[in-house]
Amino acid sequence: MAFLKRNDSAEALGVGYQIPRNSLALLMIAQAVVVLPHSAHITPWIVAVGLFCGCWRWMVFQGRWDYPQRWVKVLLVVASAIGVGVSGKNVFSLETATGLLIVAFALKLVEMKSRRDAYLVIHLCYFIIAAEFLFDQSIGVALYGALAMVIVTAALVGLHQLHTRVSMSTSLRTAGVLVMQAIPLMLVLFLFFPRVAPLWSVPLPGGTRTGISDHIAPGDIAALTRSNDIAFRAVFDGPIPAPRDLYWRGLVYSNFSQGTWSAGPASTAVEDQPMRPDGRAEFAPDVSEIEPLSYQVLLEPTQASWLFALDVAKPVAAPTSLTRDFRLVSDEPVHAMIRYRVRSYPGAIMDTTLPEWLRRRETKLPEGDNPRIVAFAKELASRSDGPEAFLTSVLQYIRSEPFFYTLNPPTLNDTDSVDAFWFESRRGFCSHFAGAFVYLARAVGIPARMIGGYQGGEVNPVTGHLVVRQFDAHAWAEVWLEGRGWVRMDPTAAVAPARIESGLDAALSETDRAMLSEVTGRRFDGVPGLKDVLYLFESMQHRWNMWVVGYDTEVQARYLADLLGDVTPTRVGLAMLFGGGVSLMLVVVSLFWRRRPAPGHPAQRAFRRFSQRLVRSGITRRPEETPARFLERVNAARNREPSDISPLIDHLDSLLYNPDIECSKEALRTLRSGLRRLQVDVALRARS
Amino acid sequence: MAVELSAFERSPRFSRWLDRRIPPTRRLTLSQQSIFIFPTITGFLFGGLIVLLILGAINYQNSLVYGVAFTLGSLFLVTILYTFRNLSGLTIELVSAGTGFVGEDVEFQVRVSRPKGKGREGIQLGWLGAIAQWAEVYDSEACSVRLFVRAERRGWLDPARLLIETQYPLGLLRAWTWVDLGARALVYPLPLFIDQPEHVARRGEDGELMDPQGSDDFSEMRTYRPGDPVRHIMWRVYARSDQLVVKEYTSYLDPRLMLDFERVGGGVEERLSRLTGMALNAARSGREFGLVLPGMTIRPGVGDPHRDSILRALALHGLPQA
Repeated sequence: MAFLKRNDSAEALGVGYQIPRNSLALLMIAQAVVVLPHSAHITPWIVAVGLFCGCWRWMVFQGRWDYPQRWVKVLLVVASAIGVGVSGKNVFSLETATGLLIVAFALKLVEMKSRRDAYLVIHLCYFIIAAEFLFDQSIGVALYGALAMVIVTAALVGLHQLHTRVSMSTSLRTAGVLVMQAIPLMLVLFLFFPRVAPLWSVPLPGGTRTGISDHIAPGDIAALTRSNDIAFRAVFDGPIPAPRDLYWRGLVYSNFSQGTWSAGPASTAVEDQPMRPDGRAEFAPDVSEIEPLSYQVLLEPTQASWLFALDVAKPVAAPTSLTRDFRLVSDEPVHAMIRYRVRSYPGAIMDTTLPEWLRRRETKLPEGDNPRIVAFAKELASRSDGPEAFLTSVLQYIRSEPFFYTLNPPTLNDTDSVDAFWFESRRGFCSHFAGAFVYLARAVGIPARMIGGYQGGEVNPVTGHLVVRQFDAHAWAEVWLEGRGWVRMDPTAAVAPARIESGLDAALSETDRAMLSEVTGRRFDGVPGLKDVLYLFESMQHRWNMWVVGYDTEVQARYLADLLGDVTPTRVGLAMLFGGGVSLMLVVVSLFWRRRPAPGHPAQRAFRRFSQRLVRSGITRRPEETPARFLERVNAARNREPSDISPLIDHLDSLLYNPDIECSKEALRTLRSGLRRLQVDVALRARS
Repeated sequence: MAVELSAFERSPRFSRWLDRRIPPTRRLTLSQQSIFIFPTITGFLFGGLIVLLILGAINYQNSLVYGVAFTLGSLFLVTILYTFRNLSGLTIELVSAGTGFVGEDVEFQVRVSRPKGKGREGIQLGWLGAIAQWAEVYDSEACSVRLFVRAERRGWLDPARLLIETQYPLGLLRAWTWVDLGARALVYPLPLFIDQPEHVARRGEDGELMDPQGSDDFSEMRTYRPGDPVRHIMWRVYARSDQLVVKEYTSYLDPRLMLDFERVGGGVEERLSRLTGMALNAARSGREFGLVLPGMTIRPGVGDPHRDSILRALALHGLPQA
């Protein structure tokens, strides 16, 4: 009687909710997976707190330890606050913010008990996955993020499965399917969701500066060649100019002191302010009769505002502008990869007349430094007919004297460094030659300056874009000549023409080349086929940058115009609805579609197929024939005793007509193989 | 977790609307007609997270953060279908309604079956105010769920509507329905057991009830216990000693008992409880017994069906016929 039964089911059914163990394990894995990539830019202190919390939670999970006491938690909070404090990062920087987020996350982990805690941790997980993309948007990181997302989603799925059913693999499979099914809709949203300009300014990820810097001591650029990191990629609308014309101008160094070149003082006059894309400026060169080179540059983060372009660039769209010394600069330092469009007018005249302040700036030399080279210049000038002849004879001098182009020049003192290079060591890298060249020109009153940037690049044969790496960094000189404006002169071309024609590698001596290939990816060049794989990989990364990472307002506008013709809000809305509807319909079909069961009993179907096959062997089942009679006739056709076939007949009869016999897979298999053997036998006999 | 109504569902208008939309039935197959779906608090939080991510993506002009936000948004939309499908097509059927005594949890059995094909996960069932239970219809195509309702009063127990809900797969949405399976369970009065149940039992002819007063011999005196007939109290003893003492009579035990409503003390409910206790005792000892209620008499008999009909009469005494 019900009265005598004790009802304890309410208790057994988890009034006190507990997170299913497998889901909890997934959560902890997810947490580790999500935080791992951040360890590159958060302080080790926070990583340590996170690890400690993770270990503690793991011990709780194992049932060895209890949840931490209150004072332990307080201690952890204090420890992480100190950790963030001593990290030396700005309190409002993105690194600090992510650090704090991860600390909060780790602390929450330790006390995670209820379902609500689990929800909070999962939401934080998703957030931290997204935060990683602020630091790195490469394909690898994106794939990793997708994987992390599946794991986090699996933990969420585990929370809603029947306790007895939760297992890591089923949760992961469900989550994987869910994410896959979400992808078409995600793509539709990605393409059509209107991209708008930033609403307010936000702290951007810092990072170590890479690439060339705003001052050059001799030897600085040589250090850059030890890296084959990508500086930028360029996509030309037309054919790519020859390597010797690819001078990517980025920085102008006008000031020399203590052996170091740095940017000179800028003019504060109104007419010398940078020119905006839609603006005008007095200094802007006349480009009316020059065919422009049109291209876009995808610049990797440099943490600085200078951009790289070919001579003579004009800005096309914000946030680029043109400075008084014809450099392109960005409004903000480049913290994340940016894409900018440029139009360059090769041969346009920069500064038809030179203002007095600029002439003073570009002819200034420190008093008393490097006296020997000044004397040398004056002596050479007295023998030359005008500035151009003087410069030509300097280049001639470099060519004829035993100067060497090398990655490993001897170290020079701060004072009289140019003298030491020019008369004694005579071994140098591009910046040594360019520096000495500018020094010589200034010594005789010719306005000259050193230019920093990149020279050359490698064309990727798969996508046809130009890849410029850090080892393409270069320095050259610019001199101002009456009637020609600023003229590019590259003394490196005099000492090592191969550097300009075919890149750094070709210009180096055997030992230098060996050293270079040790530190760059070029050591793989000898492996057959690998180069192609690297090209392919690079082209994938490039396409990713062009179409995914670089999918901004401008690209979206162009893409939508191609797709929809006229881009109106109604059309975009309709396209989004249509695309979203189709992608959701796909999910609906996969969820609700049920295959209609095949008609008839499985044994009946097997027999029907058998009779159809036998028609080919000339035996057709008569309508009035029972299956048993038909099999007997078939058996007779192959001249066998009736007893040979009787087990098969019994088996078929029992499957078809005996309600007590279960039609198991095993029984069906026996039937099918028996029928097949019979059919093959008959077919062989009919052929012979 | 006990099943509760949301603020909206508490309104009588909702209840009337529900009666029209999902009329009471013993067996119901769920469809879009009967399934409601709405985001949970977690779902709204998730929406907040998406908005936050989109703001971040706009301010940082970061395509992959957009990607994360859109993936989460799409996941949300896809799970609408998952959550809905998880309930859609399920057949809910009342198998049996148990019986019980006041204060007990009465058992109802509900059968949940799903169409062939993919399994359903994380489905919970529960009567309003009771604990929800899980239904396992992933591996099996059907299962029986035992649901319990605390019986507060005797008579018919109507557990009202049954909640069937699921938050599978991500807990962002809740799909649910309120089904009226027309379930009702009989609740017997709370039994009270008295040590001397025999004082209302009297020797008599078949079916004839005799006056308990006149025939039996006085056997002993003992202290009063609640429920003793007032007329057995020896008032003279009480006057002397302040003690309530009753005379006890020995009856010639008849295997047939007549439980008489009029012969037990207390209010109506108390009397019913006593009679219930006596009936249970009698049934356990295997004796023949009958019942006399105002306006109703059940002849003595034995066996479980007889016992149940007596308990039923006690449970429904004085209640309007529903």
